[in-house]
Amino acid sequence: MKIICLIKFIPDVDNFTYDYEKNVLVRENVKLILNPEDACALAFALRIKEKNIETFIEIISMAPQSTIPLIEDLLRRGVDKATLISDKLYVGSDTYVTSRIIAKYLREEEYDFILTGSHSLDGDTAHIPSQIAEILQISQLSNIVKVYEDSLEKDSVIVLVDCEKTLSKYEMVLPSVLSIGKESKYKLPFVKYKDLELNVRDRISVITNEELKFLHDEVGTYGSLTKVNRTFARKLNKKEKVVVSNDDEGIDAVYKFLKDKGFV
Amino acid sequence: MKRSLIYFDEEDFQNSIDLLEVVNQIYKDSEYETYAICFNHNDGVIDGKFDYLITIQNGEIKNYDVQNITNCIEELHHIYDFDSILIPATYLGRMLAPRVSMRLKIGLVADVTAIEHNNGQVEMVRPAFSGKIFAGIVNWNCKTIMMSVRPNVFVYEPDVIKKTEKIKFKPTTLEPSKIKLLETKEKEKIKDIRESEILVSGGGGVIGDFKHLYLLAHELSGMVSASRSLVDSGIASRSIQVGQSGKTVSPKLYIALGIYGSLQHIEGLKNVENIICVNTNKDAPICSLADIVVEGDAIEFIDKLIEKIIKNRI
Repeated sequence: MKIICLIKFIPDVDNFTYDYEKNVLVRENVKLILNPEDACALAFALRIKEKNIETFIEIISMAPQSTIPLIEDLLRRGVDKATLISDKLYVGSDTYVTSRIIAKYLREEEYDFILTGSHSLDGDTAHIPSQIAEILQISQLSNIVKVYEDSLEKDSVIVLVDCEKTLSKYEMVLPSVLSIGKESKYKLPFVKYKDLELNVRDRISVITNEELKFLHDEVGTYGSLTKVNRTFARKLNKKEKVVVSNDDEGIDAVYKFLKDKGFV
Repeated sequence: MKRSLIYFDEEDFQNSIDLLEVVNQIYKDSEYETYAICFNHNDGVIDGKFDYLITIQNGEIKNYDVQNITNCIEELHHIYDFDSILIPATYLGRMLAPRVSMRLKIGLVADVTAIEHNNGQVEMVRPAFSGKIFAGIVNWNCKTIMMSVRPNVFVYEPDVIKKTEKIKFKPTTLEPSKIKLLETKEKEKIKDIRESEILVSGGGGVIGDFKHLYLLAHELSGMVSASRSLVDSGIASRSIQVGQSGKTVSPKLYIALGIYGSLQHIEGLKNVENIICVNTNKDAPICSLADIVVEGDAIEFIDKLIEKIIKNRI
């Protein structure tokens, strides 16, 4: 069985700090981490491999080559192959272009299914898994909390999905894109002590536009269909506050506020 | 005349209807027509609100079969050539929108929370980095604009009653479904402060009588949360902690009782609509976020407010 896992390294958002004086987000020196739900997805793949040693796992990431040390760390946990899609031309691609780039590589690959996280903590659009499934014309489900391993056959799988209001069990035709949610609680194994310094470089293949052959105006900002016009921080101090005392008048003001807003 | 298509999620009527307000903000005073697309339901709630109601009655198309729903929207777009396509960012909508955008080669903006106009362009605003920054995004290289819209942000208030012309559409591009629903069950209500619309939250100022907060939470049908100082001192459980090291909450109402409002606490408040804060120090940082600041003792405030609520209920 061959499993492909799409992964993304993101800035560790929890460690962003906010400069209230300048009203900007301090993003310098923030380290990159594996997107938490992508980690769940990869953890599930490794779990399958542990049960069936014949399983082949390939991770794919579109990122700068500076992420290679992070990729090496994942390879040391039992991943068989890593493909890094990396080209200067791809910088600035929106989700539409990014999906097309990754899908072009996937078209030439064989796989039983593709795993992804449901959403990433940085952009949080959740576009890529669905868009790639659309290009490949296969099914896709987000927020999968459990994959019934025993149900995994050559041409179908049963999954449990958290659909916000309901928990639903679906049968999907394979190949398909399974987007794992963090509630799945699949956890990445640690690197075994003996593998800490393992040389895994020969398992990484870097794919550039020389292989994928996009025209220049099809990728990057040129090919994108959306453009970020501006970014801004949320304004914290825009409210005009009312200061009252803890007396009848004050309580009346609070009560009226609650009543007007429909809280009482 | 601009034409706008709204995907009507049968599991979330209200958030589908509220997208009319988004269309309103996109086109403002220029003329436009709204189209609702509904699969296997034809609900009266649409009547009078949309200009057109496109219904597709076909038991073969399940409401989770995004591939076939995409096929239908593609066919319709070829007929009507929509200027905008709006999809509520519900569980299904968030899988449907990217598919449709890829199929139609239209740029897509996810989870839009505001519409702005900049140099004649429609700017779609969305949060990024867990709501820490916002991005204003414009569509590029294509005529139609498309977005998924975050639920509970826009509110539509009908002003005129529309005729709502009914269109029965029979798709010709259906394919065998690649997905099948086996069973479904309603989720159990999990008590999590992140899901409560009203939070009564306590800090160091209520350390002497934290339990008192539950009385107010009960009256308001909300939940109690706490700042780190109460958790560190063992009075409140970590599961109800708000802040960077606790949970990020977005209630509609946050009542901060005796909370100072350190940076790490404020980081845990995301898109909170209304904040009331009660503090003996009206210059505590949290007070700068509040709509109303009550200067005084928080426990006393709870008793007085509960009395007022009960009195007005009778």
